[in-house]
This record gives sequence, C-alpha cells and structure tokens, in this order.
Amino acid sequence: MSLAKYVARRVVYMVPMAIGISIISFLVMYAAGDPITLATAGHPNITEGQREALRRYYGLDQPIPIQYLNWLSHLLVGDFGRSLYGGRPVNQLIGSWFWETVKLNLIALVLALIIAIPVGVNSALKQYSVGDAFVTSVSIFGVSMPVFWIGIVLILIFSFWLGWLPSAGAYGFPELWPLFGISDPTVDAIAHLILPVTVLTYVQLALYVRLTRAQMLEVMRQDYILAARASGIPSNKVVYKYALKNAITPVLTYAGLSIGAIVAGAPMTETTFNWPGLGRRFVQAASILDFPVVMGITMIITVMILIANLVVDVSYAFVDPRITVE
Amino acid sequence: MEPDGDILRVEDLRTYFFTEAGVVRAVDGVSFAVKKGETMGLVGETGSGKTVASYSVMRVVPKPGKIVGGRVYYDGEEILSKSEEDVRKLRGEQIAMIFQDPNSSLNPVFSIQEQLTDIILSHNGGMKKEEALETTIRLLDKVGMPEPETRVRWYPHQFSGGMRQRIAIARALLLRPKLLFADEPTTNLDVTIQAQVLELLKSIKNETGTSMVLITHDMGIVADMTSRVTVLYAGRVAEISDTNTTYRKSLHPYTRALLRSVPRVDEKVDLESIPGNVPNLITPPSGCRFHPRCKYATEVCSEKVPPLEEAEEGHFTACHHWREL
Amino acid sequence: MASPSTVVDEEIKAATEEEAAPKKVRGAGQWSVAWRRFKRNKAALLGLAMIGSVLIVAIFNNAIAPYPGRPSPDAFKPLYEGEAGQPPSLKHPFGTSRYGTDIFSEVVHGTVYTLYVSLFVTAIVIALALAVGVTAGYLAGRVDDVLMRIAEVFLVIPVLPLILVFARIFQIVFSQTSFTLPVLGISVPIGLTIVVVIISVFGWAGDARAFRGEVLRIKEMEYIQAAKSIGASSRRIMLYHIIPNILSTVIVVATLTMATAILTEAGVSFLGFGDPNTVTWGYLLNENLNELSVSWWAEIFPGLAVFWSVLGFNLLGDGLADALNPRLRE
Repeated sequence: MSLAKYVARRVVYMVPMAIGISIISFLVMYAAGDPITLATAGHPNITEGQREALRRYYGLDQPIPIQYLNWLSHLLVGDFGRSLYGGRPVNQLIGSWFWETVKLNLIALVLALIIAIPVGVNSALKQYSVGDAFVTSVSIFGVSMPVFWIGIVLILIFSFWLGWLPSAGAYGFPELWPLFGISDPTVDAIAHLILPVTVLTYVQLALYVRLTRAQMLEVMRQDYILAARASGIPSNKVVYKYALKNAITPVLTYAGLSIGAIVAGAPMTETTFNWPGLGRRFVQAASILDFPVVMGITMIITVMILIANLVVDVSYAFVDPRITVE
Repeated sequence: MEPDGDILRVEDLRTYFFTEAGVVRAVDGVSFAVKKGETMGLVGETGSGKTVASYSVMRVVPKPGKIVGGRVYYDGEEILSKSEEDVRKLRGEQIAMIFQDPNSSLNPVFSIQEQLTDIILSHNGGMKKEEALETTIRLLDKVGMPEPETRVRWYPHQFSGGMRQRIAIARALLLRPKLLFADEPTTNLDVTIQAQVLELLKSIKNETGTSMVLITHDMGIVADMTSRVTVLYAGRVAEISDTNTTYRKSLHPYTRALLRSVPRVDEKVDLESIPGNVPNLITPPSGCRFHPRCKYATEVCSEKVPPLEEAEEGHFTACHHWREL
Repeated sequence: MASPSTVVDEEIKAATEEEAAPKKVRGAGQWSVAWRRFKRNKAALLGLAMIGSVLIVAIFNNAIAPYPGRPSPDAFKPLYEGEAGQPPSLKHPFGTSRYGTDIFSEVVHGTVYTLYVSLFVTAIVIALALAVGVTAGYLAGRVDDVLMRIAEVFLVIPVLPLILVFARIFQIVFSQTSFTLPVLGISVPIGLTIVVVIISVFGWAGDARAFRGEVLRIKEMEYIQAAKSIGASSRRIMLYHIIPNILSTVIVVATLTMATAILTEAGVSFLGFGDPNTVTWGYLLNENLNELSVSWWAEIFPGLAVFWSVLGFNLLGDGLADALNPRLRE
C-alpha cells in the first residue's frame, strides 16, 4: 500500500487510542472516591458545605459523563481547566515549564544518540577488546544506576566539593552572577544545563550503546554481509553502509519513542536538580492530587507519545522497504 | 600467469575455528586444483569443510575462524600472503561466489540496483553510475529477469526464491570473474526451479568459459555439471578424480558409500546409508577420519593418516587400502 | 531480528554436535551445557555473587544490623547518644542521618523490602505476561489481536505518572489503616504491597510482547522439526519442546524484571509516593535528599545499595541470556 494510505490508517487508529486513554486518565480522578474529598484530605477544617461549593465551582457535581465531555471539549481548544488549589488556569502552570523540559530532554537524547551509535558500532566490531569490555561495563553500569542517584553523585562532586557547577534550577539569579564570573545569561543557562543533561545523556547512552552493539553483532553475522565482503566491497562500506542500515531499526524505534517521552519529562532528574520542568510539576500536582493539572499533563504526554509512535512507524517505512511495498 | 594450467591451486590449506567449545578443525590439510575452464565439483556432507574451504580461498572466513596454514595460488600467484586491499580487488573481479541461500545472501533493505552497482563501482573507480547501471541491467536480463530496467529498483523480498538466486548469480558475474564458486546453488530452491538454475549456470559456463567450483552434496548434480570431482570428508580430501572415474571406479570407501546412497534410474540397487555420524571436528578420529564408519577399516587406519596418493594419472585418493578396493 | 544461522554456523554446529542421544537425555543436556557456559562467564558469576550477598543480608538482617529497624524506637538510639548526623566511622560504617538513625542498619533492614518488592513484582508481572503472551501467540487470530491491543494501551500510556497518581491515592486512602498484615506469621507491609501491585499492573505489557514473540518463533521451528521427524509427533511432544524453549527466555526476562522492579520502586519512593510506613531504600533516599549538603553519606549509601542489587540482577540476567543462547561464541 502507498505511504499516504499507510499513514492515514495509522492516524485513524490513533484517535480511538487517544480517546481511550483520556477516559482512563479522567476516571483516575474517581479511582478512590470523590476528588474534592481526596484533595482536601489534608485539611480537616474544611466543612462539607465548603466542599460542596468547591464541587460546584469545578463542575464536579455534574454527572460523570457530562464532566468528561466538558473536560474533553475544553481540552480540544487548549483549555486545561483550573487547578484545584487556588483555581489558577492549568495552562499557566504548565506553560513555560513545558519548554524547559523539552530543552533538557531533547539535548540529552540527541547527545546520547550521537555518541552511542558510533561507540556501539565500534564496540561490536572490536568485540572482546579492552575498549569493548570498557564500553560494555560502563553501559551496564548506566542502566543499573538509579537516575536520581547519578544526579546526586554529580551534584556532590561538581557542586558541593568542587563548586564548579550549580546544582539547582534552570537559571541563577543575575545578582549573583558576578560571584561566579558570569555576565552572560546564556552562559548561566548552559552552566545550569550541564549536570542534568549529563545525567540524562548517560542513562540513555548506556541503553543505546547496548542496543546498537547487540544489533550490529547480530547483523554482522548475516550471509548478506559476508556476500558483500565477498563481492569486493571495501570493509568500511560493508560496515557503515550495509550493516548499519540493517542494525539501526530498533535503535531508531527506541529513539523515536523516546521523543514522545521527552515531554513526560524526567521527574527523577528534575526533582534532583529542582528543574522547572513538566516532570517536577507533575510530581507536585500528583502529590496534592490536583487532578486537573495531573490530567492535563497526562494528556499532553499521551498525545506526544502517540505522535512519536506514528513518526516511528512512518520512518520504518523509509528504512525498511519490506513494510510499505507489500 | 599461465595460459593453460590451473586457475586455482590449493595446497595443504588449514582453517580452524576458535570457539568456546574448542578448536574446530574445519579444514585440516586440504589440497586440490582447478584447471582453467573446467568445472570442479567439491563434494561432501555438511561439516566436511567444503564451504569453509571456499571462504578461505576468498579470505572471507568469518570469526572465530582463521586460516592457519597452507598456500593458495590463483592463476599462479600466492594469495594468502597478499595484503587485504590486494585481495579485496580480487574479490568479485577475479573470484566470485554464489551463495547457498538466496533469501539471506541479498541485503533486504537495499534495492538490487544499489547493491549491485555498488559492487561494480567498488572496483572500477572511473566508471560512472550510469555505466554500472547498464551493466547490471544487462546481466539481470541475461539471467532471465523480465523487465530488468524497471525491476532493478525493486527489493529482494519482491522476488521469488528462484529469481533471487538468479540475481545472486548475476551479482557474481558482474565483473566477469575468471573463477566462480557456486555454493549449493540449488539446495534451497524448489525442485522445478533447480533445473532452470542449473541450466543457467551451464549456459554461462559455455558462453564465458569461466572456471567453476561447484560445491554440493548432491551426487546427481555432480554427474550432470562437473568434469572433475574433489571429495572432502571431515576437513580432509578423500579423493580427487574426473567425474566418470568417480562414478565408475572410485578408489575411496567414502565416495563409494556416497554413491550408494543416491537412487539410480538405470539399475535396481538397494540404497545404503552410511552408518554413524559426521565426526566431531574438535576431537576428530585419529588416523583416517573415516575409519569409524568404514567397512574396510583395519588397525592401520586408526593409527596413521592416509596420504593423498596418485593411484593413476589425475586420480588421487587418501586411503590405506585403495589397492584392494 | 533473529534469522537462521549462517552457513558457516551450521557447518560448525554439525561439526561439534555430540552423537544423537534419545530425546530425554538431550533435554537434560541442554541445561547442563548452559550451566557450563554460565560458569565460564565471570561477569555472570559476579552478578550471582552480588545477588547472593543481598539474599544473605536479607535473611540475617537482624543479626547483621547493629540497630533495629523502625518503628522500633531503638532505631533512633544514635540520636540519644548524640551521634546524629555523623560521617561514616567504625561504629557507624555508613554514618548516621540527621534524624538519628544508623544508615548501615537501615540499609540492611531495607534489604528485606527490596527482595520482597523485586520477587513479588516479578511474580505478578511474569504470571500476567505469560498468560497474555502465550495465549496470544499460541491461539493467534482474533484472540491475539485483542490481547495485543490491550498490551499496546499499557505500553503507550505514560506509566510513571499513572503509577505515581495511583500510589498517592492509595496512600491517602490507606493512611488510616494498620501498616502491616500478618500473613503466615510474617507481617506484610500493606502500603508496600499496594505499590508492588500498582507497579506490576502497569509493567507487564513489555514482557508479554516478548513471550508472544518467543511462542511465535518456537511455533515455526517446531513445525519444521515436526515435519522433519518421522511421522507421528503428538501434541504432547510439541508441548515438551515449547515449554523448555520458552523457559530459558522466561528466566532471563524474569531476572531483568527483578532489576527493573527495584529501580521503579526506588524511584517511586524517592519521589515520595511510596509507602510512608516502610523504610525501603527509596524511602531513605527521599528522606535525606534535603540534607545532602550536610550528610551526603545518608543519601549515597542507600543509592549504592540500589545500584549493587540492580547491577547484580542485570549481570545475572545478561549472563543467563548468554548461557542459554544456543549460538556459538568465540
């Protein structure tokens, strides 16, 4: 089938998915009873009358399906409702934090891929060498360490003991810049980025290196690689053109899906570094059971993931001709 | 460079695989020769070393394999001692190979055009892309692909198994090699297609006079296609002779056993299978490797390795008791 | 991405196979071959040792830890002895927290919870994944479609956010009830169990897909083998071959799931969504985060413990995967 039809089919398939997940997200709010009760559980002084008033204000006294449709219709025009705590529009709360998260994760992902693929390929080629052993150990360490722990260790070393880099937030206070010899806001922003990006990159790097290496090892054993070599194609080309294209598909899949997860933020890292991102915002909201915020962020993440899935599927069609040309 | 004589001479070739389970002596002292223009059959069961031997000649033995000894002369020049770059130039251009499984020897994510023109361009730096494409199309036509101008852009999975093998054959012939290795070219194909592919190979032979090494375990194909036969067993040569002699006056118990396991149309003969199994190549039997399964075996067979002796002109056999057969 | 062996592989394989033995012995042979390969893998042995050490510490936790765990008031003895917030010393190998607990003891006691989470989550996940995966793979058709759609939903959903939300909801709901439930004489922490269940419910989909893939692959192979074997091959024989073949994948997947389970629980607790009444390693990490500048040891050592366990399981899992893999290596 043609590419256009394939894409169309996938998009059509996505819509019920998105709706299904939105329903699930919405129902989470009622998972354990009335949301207002839950949200005010920590405030015993609120009377039932006040709770009723709150319910009416947020439209929670309507029948559930009506509530859902209300919420959904607002969502589709970009209105995420109001926070249960203070009634601020959710859009405001999420707004700028969205981009901070994207900034962080995107840089980390790109860096991770750029480094991981060559390293993984080389490691596969020189299997069992010292370099390969080193790479393998470092990557298995990377997937075994808790993300936040790496951050903590880095903070200890580079912020507390060496004092080189800031440990919290995305931006420092301009008044304090002279203390660090900075005069440029960009430098400040970069300085704040270095540690969190390092953490995120390292974790993803480990994963991609392992994946690339495993795939390359598998592909290099195939008959068609031997055949290419036997036809006199130079070794470099055999590896970097022919083998790589075959090996790269799962890596791309994972990377593509990770793009979707970029907006999910990295709640662990963001918490460790006090980064003003969606992940941390979500953790805060989930902690106080501020459902509109929680649901809003969940939907954003879901949509991003679905779109990422679609992009991955489509890119498959470009890389692996067996799919479209059926 | 001899005008006549051997296009290929293999002397005491040894290729071992260094695996976790031990050292597999896949090719352990193999010697044979291929005359210019002839088709030599390289025969043996799976595990006899025939494929590894041909990979060794082209120096594409995959890890954990390594050529550990011997000499290989291509058209008079020793090639095991050449540099990798020199050998690379030989591959495809002088010596080419048709692989066993057409479903796995073509790269699935590249078009036929891409894969094949790349081979041409890797050898003749000066040739332009259009010329390479022309050559490719011409050869695809020759092997019987309909509408090659359009289909050259297709991908391997879009072709049938038989057509894929033809493409593999075309790939091997792109640069007009003088020596062709055909590794079980019909084993993975339907019976009906087998005949077609064999006919194709024959016609190519006749047209270009390419020397060919036909690797197979099918004695029927050997009779049809070859003029000389080298029989391998467990990494060693058992017998070398011309095809007629092989079938009528074989002087090696293994060859005879092989022949008796093939059904015949002309005579009513009982089929016999060879008792026992292909030996373990990490710890091969002592002396003659066939002795545990040989009905003529005596004590000397388990003690001494039988040398390859010339029983009559051009007929070599490695058996202590060839005179009594 | 798996494809048939190369021609050379087959030749090597043919050249190294033992003489054909009756089917039953061959089954046993598969495991002893794998065990021999495993023994040769140093990294795998290291992983095994690391997990072994965790197991031993967990079993003997009360004997090894100098101070009892919370909620016993003696857990805070260092506070009364004026030794709160001390860096590591002979008396307190991991130092003490600002709140007056001996970090070493807390880590040792936490080992039990770690193993509990790891084993329990894995048990549930594997059970669910096998049920769904094998059914889908074996029955195929509509059943397969439906089951895989469900699995896909669970794979697309942003899992961590939902885990956090559910965990929090249950935290609030259950904060009034008792902390533990006596089961078979052991007091089982309710909150932690809820976290375990939540993690499991959201974590089975990936494993299910893996098992389904394996069943499909085995189905193909066994058909070929069955066709090749002489005549009768009853369903029972097929089952005898499917199960041991899947078993090796199940073992590997289970081991790696154990690693993931620990990491997930640590993360959830670190963010404050774990069981507030159970002092797991993640809980310790959450508790001492703000004191990082004054008592870094309180944060580092529990994290190190997590790292140790997860690394152990990962090495073990990799080693098992390598040993049970029929392909030959250098």
